[in-house]
Amino acid sequence: MGEKVFMQGNAAMAESAIRADCKFFFGYPITPSSEVPEYYARAAKERPEENIVFVQGETEVAVFNMIAGTAATGKRVMTATSGPGFSLGQEAMSFMSAAGLPAVVVEVMRSGPADGEILAAQGDYFQAVKGGGHGDYRVLVLAPYSIQEMCELMQECFDLAEKYRNPVILLTDSLLAKMREAVELPGRKTSRVDQRDWTLTGCAGREHHVLTTCGDGAAQWEAFNLNLQEKYAKIKANEVRWQSYQVEDADIVLVAYGSMARVAEGAMKMAREEGLKVGLIRPISLWPFPEKAFQGLAGKKFLVTELSAGQMVEDVKLSVDRKEDVRFFGRLGGVVPSPKDILAEIRKLEVK
Amino acid sequence: MKHELLFSGIGGQGIMLLGEILCNVVIEKGYQVSFAPFYGQEKRGGRTMCNVVIADGMESPIISEAELMLVMDERSLKDYEHLVAPGGTLLLNSSMIELEPQRRDIKVVKVPFYEIAADLGNAKASNMVALGYVLRYLPFVDREAVEKEVAKTFSAKAALVELNVKAVKTGYEYEEQV
Repeated sequence: MGEKVFMQGNAAMAESAIRADCKFFFGYPITPSSEVPEYYARAAKERPEENIVFVQGETEVAVFNMIAGTAATGKRVMTATSGPGFSLGQEAMSFMSAAGLPAVVVEVMRSGPADGEILAAQGDYFQAVKGGGHGDYRVLVLAPYSIQEMCELMQECFDLAEKYRNPVILLTDSLLAKMREAVELPGRKTSRVDQRDWTLTGCAGREHHVLTTCGDGAAQWEAFNLNLQEKYAKIKANEVRWQSYQVEDADIVLVAYGSMARVAEGAMKMAREEGLKVGLIRPISLWPFPEKAFQGLAGKKFLVTELSAGQMVEDVKLSVDRKEDVRFFGRLGGVVPSPKDILAEIRKLEVK
Repeated sequence: MKHELLFSGIGGQGIMLLGEILCNVVIEKGYQVSFAPFYGQEKRGGRTMCNVVIADGMESPIISEAELMLVMDERSLKDYEHLVAPGGTLLLNSSMIELEPQRRDIKVVKVPFYEIAADLGNAKASNMVALGYVLRYLPFVDREAVEKEVAKTFSAKAALVELNVKAVKTGYEYEEQV
């Protein structure tokens, strides 16, 4: 841990990535993620001793292939984008997953579909969590709810990517990206994984390494797929993260992630002050989804709140005993409800 | 302790800067502060608003009710009046707002921020006049520290330092004409 500074989410996150030894950034600017490439571009210029490489690609299609190429050499690399840009990167997401490339992607969600609006939304949950590209692949998705947590998870993304040789997504939104709050910037970290047994670094003096993304017959390709599935099972067993707040005695358990979890936590406090027994489950890893967080909570009602028409709510329904106990409240278009708005929804459930 | 504030206006009026300067000063006091900006795709002339929360611990950056709200234009008044806390204060930029607020359970204060700034030599400093006026409602914020922060913000141009520091002072000391 280092000094405490009052910093914008995107900027603090970019600094944390640099401090995690991610010296390669390829990007194409798109609001609300543009301060990340901006930060890297400035750092590349003003901190020559750090050997930072920044390239603005011609499109996100190019950028996602640039991070794939760099990851193949074993260097820490990332990009940051928002929904429309992330959509363009989906082909590469699928290829990177097949090739086992440890690239990190920051997705700062804004309101879609299409160009939409630049304000906060969580409508890219399906795309990030279920996989927006083709084939049976999975990508780790982490969703911070404060700038502090965003910085810490940003650094962990690189460790996880290397540990599993898999792309990792840090999923944030316009609110977290643009807001400022006090943050203790994390310190310097470097890779602890020796990747020399698979990376493409020039094969003089050794056997050449092969990264493949296409099959050589159904049986072979099934075996390749089963290997991937084995890896995903390991990730599911080891990397589930969530935080539960006052769920034990709760009648109603709010479920929210990212910036909405901040608002939901405020609503929970207001409800508790009124004597309503309300708790909160905050998934931090969205894939793997923290199904375990819902164990032993039979009989409680769940109110899932999202900045979407209802996406994570499907995973919550798969995780509870009775899906009839799950209710949903969401806002769209860039509208963010206040704690008071969520409290009103809690009261509606209480009355019934 | 928890204070929820909302500042709103039109892009170019410097509302974000007002909020950021305030936050930069309050953060030094050791409070937990969040500054959440909302704006459209336009650089100037679009909508611009920020939520500021000052508290002892981590809170929702989205406010439920503003104990103090500053609105610099009529659209902001229409959009956000309902968010003023009962008994809270609504500060109106009377230089640009002719509409009357509808609420009867709040305190309404009208101040001609543009005219005051124009009298100082530049209407563009109206945001700093407003910042000075806002400080009256935030006794835990040190005015001298704000003036220092303003001076730092405009340090590239000496003339702007003088104008903006004076604007804060004038806003703080402004006497309403009855």
